Amino acid sequence: MNEMSNQTVTDAKKRYSAGVMKYAQMGYWEPDYEPKETDVIALFRITPQDGVDAVEAAAAVAGESSTATWTVVWTDRLTACEKYRAKAYRVDPVPGSEGEFFAYIAYDLDLFEGGSIANLTASIIGNVFGFKPLKALRLEDMRLPVAYVKTFQGPATGIVVERERLNCYGRPLLGATVKPKLGLSGRNYGRVVYEALKGGLDFTKDDENINSQPFMHWRDRFLYCMEAVNRASAATGEVKGTYLNVTAGTMEEMYARAEFAKSLGSVIVMIDLVIGYTAIQSMAKWARDNDMILHLHRAGHSTYTRQRSHGVSFRVIAKWMRLAGVDHLHAGTVVGKLEGDPATTKGYYDIFREERNPMALQNGIFFDQEWASLNKMMPVASGGIHAGQMHQLLTYLGEDVVLQFGGGTIGHPHGIEAGAQANRVALEAMVFARNAGRDIWNEGEDILRDAARSCTPLKQALDVWKDVSFDYASTDAPDFAPTPEVSA
Amino acid sequence: MTDDTDPAATAPPTRVDLAAAFEESGVRDVLEELDRTLIGLKPVKARIRETAALLLVDKARRQMGLATETPTLHMSFTGNPGTGKTTVALKMADLLHRLGYVRKGHLVTVTRDDLVGQYIGHTAPKTKEVLKKAMGGVLFIDEAYYLYRPENERDYGQEAIEILLQVMENNRDDLVVILAGYADRMDRFFSSNPGFRSRIAHHIEFPDYDDAELLHIAERMLDQQNYRLDDDARRTMAEYIAARRGQSHFANARSVRNALDRARLRQANRLFNEARGPLDAETLSTITEPDLRASRVFRGGLDGTRASGQQAARQAEGTPP
Amino acid sequence: MKLRQGQFSFLPDLTDDDIRVQAQYAIDKGWAVSVEYTDDPHPRNTYWEMWGHPMFDNPDAAAVVYEVNECRKEHGGKYIRVIAFDASPGWESVRMGFIVNRPATEPGFRVVRQEGEGRIIRYTVESYAVREPEGARYA
Repeated sequence: MNEMSNQTVTDAKKRYSAGVMKYAQMGYWEPDYEPKETDVIALFRITPQDGVDAVEAAAAVAGESSTATWTVVWTDRLTACEKYRAKAYRVDPVPGSEGEFFAYIAYDLDLFEGGSIANLTASIIGNVFGFKPLKALRLEDMRLPVAYVKTFQGPATGIVVERERLNCYGRPLLGATVKPKLGLSGRNYGRVVYEALKGGLDFTKDDENINSQPFMHWRDRFLYCMEAVNRASAATGEVKGTYLNVTAGTMEEMYARAEFAKSLGSVIVMIDLVIGYTAIQSMAKWARDNDMILHLHRAGHSTYTRQRSHGVSFRVIAKWMRLAGVDHLHAGTVVGKLEGDPATTKGYYDIFREERNPMALQNGIFFDQEWASLNKMMPVASGGIHAGQMHQLLTYLGEDVVLQFGGGTIGHPHGIEAGAQANRVALEAMVFARNAGRDIWNEGEDILRDAARSCTPLKQALDVWKDVSFDYASTDAPDFAPTPEVSA
Repeated sequence: MTDDTDPAATAPPTRVDLAAAFEESGVRDVLEELDRTLIGLKPVKARIRETAALLLVDKARRQMGLATETPTLHMSFTGNPGTGKTTVALKMADLLHRLGYVRKGHLVTVTRDDLVGQYIGHTAPKTKEVLKKAMGGVLFIDEAYYLYRPENERDYGQEAIEILLQVMENNRDDLVVILAGYADRMDRFFSSNPGFRSRIAHHIEFPDYDDAELLHIAERMLDQQNYRLDDDARRTMAEYIAARRGQSHFANARSVRNALDRARLRQANRLFNEARGPLDAETLSTITEPDLRASRVFRGGLDGTRASGQQAARQAEGTPP
Repeated sequence: MKLRQGQFSFLPDLTDDDIRVQAQYAIDKGWAVSVEYTDDPHPRNTYWEMWGHPMFDNPDAAAVVYEVNECRKEHGGKYIRVIAFDASPGWESVRMGFIVNRPATEPGFRVVRQEGEGRIIRYTVESYAVREPEGARYA
């Protein structure tokens, strides 16, 4: 790599003479730059086209995600352009991945509008992902300065208050997504909700694509679901909820559905990630104003989070969603049917639930992140999990999580209520054993078997699903080698 | 819903190795430390060794299914002040913890004031609070006989006694109570409170230290603070101990500690007044005869000085003696 | 009907030793453990009666079992729960809660529906027990 060729051109006459110049020479590469406390920092994984220098590629990303365009413009000189230029200040080869580099880029706080995920993302991922000199680009992590974090509302309710409202402490919450996803009428749908909640679940959930289709219009669903919720509450003496999905084509329609859910006494409403960041922020504000828990289904995220070399890491989405202000967000199960490496998943859960995330490269967390007293988000684990994995789920995911057993409840051979009861007994027995100091990781199966002695539905569940596991290699494990370049 | 465990793992053993249990439980360490750190107290050490053996055997018997009840472990420690009762209580808590008779092994030390309230309805919560704090460990009630004041009909001490007795009986797994105080007063206390007598399984008497032991204790106390007595001072200290024993409020090791505290004060004062240049470590660490000789004990003790002091005061005020 | 509130209501009733072990878990975490009782187990009845102050300074959970049993002597016919409070920053809330005593019979709750226009229904869940005045419930 020729150091000289990446040197910033400081002579103003040369720097601003019309024509094309390397991004590094334009000032987007500053290897000596020390990020300010108030800078937003982004970490990109860049894969330059063959023959493109990694430093120039990083500088180009910095340029295209801030002030630069393809050619020199004299109008830069009407601005404090030094300040507005993003600065690539560090480029490290990715351990074990030839041709890929981690590029650290710092952005001045004044480049962003406060309290707007739309503005933040328009800058950071707005233009650069289609940039020709790069084969691929992935936003791996961001450091959001406290000054910026404080401009966001954060989760409408948060874990602490959610638990107080639900009167439920000391154990993971239990949920289930109503299945089949499509086709049930409102009346039939409510039956599933009633059986599952009465059996011992805390929540049931609409699926992401349950909105207002010909087989079941939203209002009908809401009415039957709330009948089920209240009946189940009376049958158990517990606070129950069902995530009523208010996702719709317009903000007006979403507000109308959310208001109706509120008027029926629901404790929670739900939206999908596909409604967009601004709509999510609006709903978070509505939820805060109306004392409602806001559940977000991350519908569509895998289109840009799953590939290792291109897109946006889910940990970045998680950070944006904590700023945006949702209370629940799906975050993987490790053991279920959907993507999830244990170390990476731990990184996500920490972003959801901690006051402060220290750098943890082994979990894919590249920066110290302070959350400045923003509420905590409740992670939701769903997809191919069942009662027989309870010890693994509690070990991997901890206590502040919603465990959603959709098939694992509704697919129980003796019915939905039995399925729900099996899950609840397994959960309580496992929490009890953990608190009593038992080694649940190794003794988990014994604990479940013992609990099943006084609970036939659990015994049946363990028999039916005993051999189900999803053991595939993960496509998104952290690229971490404890080498000086990366861990320094 | 206590979890069932593998029956094979819980089957009672058919043999027991007491020596191994002695080692593994760490009881040997406690007893050795007791021997090493406490001067004298031979009968006390012997009684503790016996108690430890009893508990070790009892534990083995329970493991084999030969015994089921938790043995009564409440104790009384009788003896004069400064004879090491609190120190031994600490070691006893440790011992009981290592043997598995108490879960935490902490020691909570209280007197009447911590248990008995000032007004109606005050005593029960106070006593319960103390008992709850001591659960998992040992409750040491110093001068326990003050709980009982028959001369006062409305004394709240009786209420504390009743709660104490109840908990000592019903919560034997949860805490061990040690009642401590002067031997004669404890005897009287037990004879007027038979409930206590029947709940105390182990009586341990703490003899006074003899003069040589107290001198030894004095030297060890100083050594721990990096001080020492020179030869004259050692002789003076021996004289001091003999004289102090005959005077009022003698409290064994505690009297020695107080004497040494005052001697260190005088030594500092002496060095400050006399020193004419830099002092070496030797000088800073040595207690000399004058530091001890200035004590009132050599002028007839507290009683003597107080009397003459009062006389002086009266004379100063011009009132006749 | 069996009241299902708390962490362990789907397990067989806890023994005193179970209570001790669970309370010890809370104490070892640095949480203050309290005993509370009520004769109105409505799911949104947040404030059960306090049986004394939270136990901030008791190292051993035998103290909790002791208070549970003292509470049972006076309120054995009611619901009694043990809760653990965490005062650390970011929580300052309850971290555990489980029922340790129940009345002999649990009449449960009824759903009261008030029907409105457009099929709207306003729901009220009411404890059957509160039809009797305080002091006369679960007699």
